[in-house]
Amino acid sequence: MSELAVELPDSSDPRVRSTALKRIFKDPAAAAAALFLFAIIVAAIIAPWIAPSDPYANNLRLRLCPIGGARCSSLLLGADQQGRDMVSRLLFGLRSTLGLGFTAVIVGGGIGATLGLLAAYYRRLETPIMRLVDVLLSFPPILFGLAIAAVIGTGLGGLVIALCITSIPTIARISRGIAQQVMQQEYMEAGRAAGSSDLTLLWRYLAANCWPVIMIYMTLQLGQAILLGAALSFLGLGAQPPVAELGSMAADGRKFLTLAPHVSTLPCAVIFLVVLAFNVLGDALRDALDPQLRQ
Amino acid sequence: MARHIAHRLVISLPVLLGVLLIGFLLLQVVPTDPATVSAGPSASRADVEAIRQQMGLDKPLWMQFGRYLGRVLQFDLGRSMISNRAVSEEIALTLGPTVELMLACLTWAAPLGILLGTLAARRHGSWIDRTIMAVSVMGVSVPVFWIGLLLIQNVGGAGWLPFQGRDGPLWSLAGLKSIILPAITLGSVFVGPVARMTRTSMLETLAADYVRTARAKGISDWRVTMHHGLRNALIPVVTLIGLQIGFLLGGSVVTETMFAWPGVGRMAVGAITSSDFPLAQGAIMILAVGFLSVNLLVDLLYAWLDPRIGTARS
Repeated sequence: MSELAVELPDSSDPRVRSTALKRIFKDPAAAAAALFLFAIIVAAIIAPWIAPSDPYANNLRLRLCPIGGARCSSLLLGADQQGRDMVSRLLFGLRSTLGLGFTAVIVGGGIGATLGLLAAYYRRLETPIMRLVDVLLSFPPILFGLAIAAVIGTGLGGLVIALCITSIPTIARISRGIAQQVMQQEYMEAGRAAGSSDLTLLWRYLAANCWPVIMIYMTLQLGQAILLGAALSFLGLGAQPPVAELGSMAADGRKFLTLAPHVSTLPCAVIFLVVLAFNVLGDALRDALDPQLRQ
Repeated sequence: MARHIAHRLVISLPVLLGVLLIGFLLLQVVPTDPATVSAGPSASRADVEAIRQQMGLDKPLWMQFGRYLGRVLQFDLGRSMISNRAVSEEIALTLGPTVELMLACLTWAAPLGILLGTLAARRHGSWIDRTIMAVSVMGVSVPVFWIGLLLIQNVGGAGWLPFQGRDGPLWSLAGLKSIILPAITLGSVFVGPVARMTRTSMLETLAADYVRTARAKGISDWRVTMHHGLRNALIPVVTLIGLQIGFLLGGSVVTETMFAWPGVGRMAVGAITSSDFPLAQGAIMILAVGFLSVNLLVDLLYAWLDPRIGTARS
């Protein structure tokens, strides 16, 4: 976790932000990742309108039809074990998988960021909050998934809770680090001297100056949340069939690995590309804002 | 040093209590009434009530939790609802294979990761560095089950190596063959993080004054890398590898399930999907306790390798 200790530039300065953005788009890999993610997020949002067919409509005549097979020449990527169109399944699967990841990082990350800011602002709260974060961090994420699935049963609800909880501690720790640096800025002092209330100082001064950097770390966290969600669904603890979710689609297709490898390979490949893009972009964003790692 | 150990133990305690609380809660959601079950079908209502009192089920929850703690300390984790064997017995059977798999994965993935990270740092900025880093980002991004599926499909499917279960102890040929594919699967997602950590640590070390001094003294490049660079860079890497055990644990749950490897992870998933609450409780608990102990050990190892850590805190 050595990257947490480095000094961050004042990201609220528009000049710093614009050069950082320029630097990212000079890196071809990061630019490609950003474009790919943009396209894929749009595709996931408008999936119900662009999917060629119903992802839940089975057609036993098309069962396990390979890519480009004569039986299913109208389907771009073949059909799965129930003769459902793979393109539509993948689009809807992407929708659930991305939705899960974003929910986890926004809700869990939001809670984590709030805890981190509070810990930096109120000295009294620092020890209890950071102890709680330490406790949460000392559990491997997969165990949260297993324990919650065991207590409230398998399904999407438990999966979302598990993913949210695992996003809290990392973001809380990072947010506190960032907020502590902002706390030393002169404008915080000036705001206090001008008689602003705690709430104003926290929200308009502290949070407003921390969130750009926190967002970058949330991007990095997204890849991890998506991977964990897919793994839990693959194990049968998350999304349940027939729900189209990439991890459970991969698990379903596993039984037909020799007959029709595309049924499990395609969802795996999509997960890989999405997580890779988030990681490449997250790394580039971090390097761009991090003066020490840049050298 | 003693203070450091004490500090770590104090932090571990609430975590351990949390784990036990989860285990206890798991047993609370069992849909059947334990008193009715142990009284048998022909028991009268008064008999069931007597057994309920005898088992302490009429007491408030916190008292039941106390009793539960007492039982756990004696390794009494209840009985599996499906096999009716003691949970501790089931754990004893599955713990070995899990440890085996993790060690088999570490023996190839950790050295390879360290080698790749060192190479990347030595050739910092070159195409070798960029290639190694690109491969390691892919390694962090790939779902472990995809690697497993590819290996099962291409290597297992062709009949070259077994991919279903553990065929014997590690020292037998059959056992050794059956661990190859699971160990490759699990290790493949571990090489990337280790390479990245080694590279960062190596770059920091190679920029240190004593490395420059060593170079100025005319010591060969290779010796500087190995003796001055790697030996010092490895200290944080050892800890980071240890801290990644949690990450490895996640991979091993998936790997065990895919390859029908009879370990704790597969048992936990099976118990959860078949609603065998006592077994799920035991499996999750042993995974958590195992993880905590490894973390504690690694932390102490770090303090021992680098004495500055122990003194800095006290």
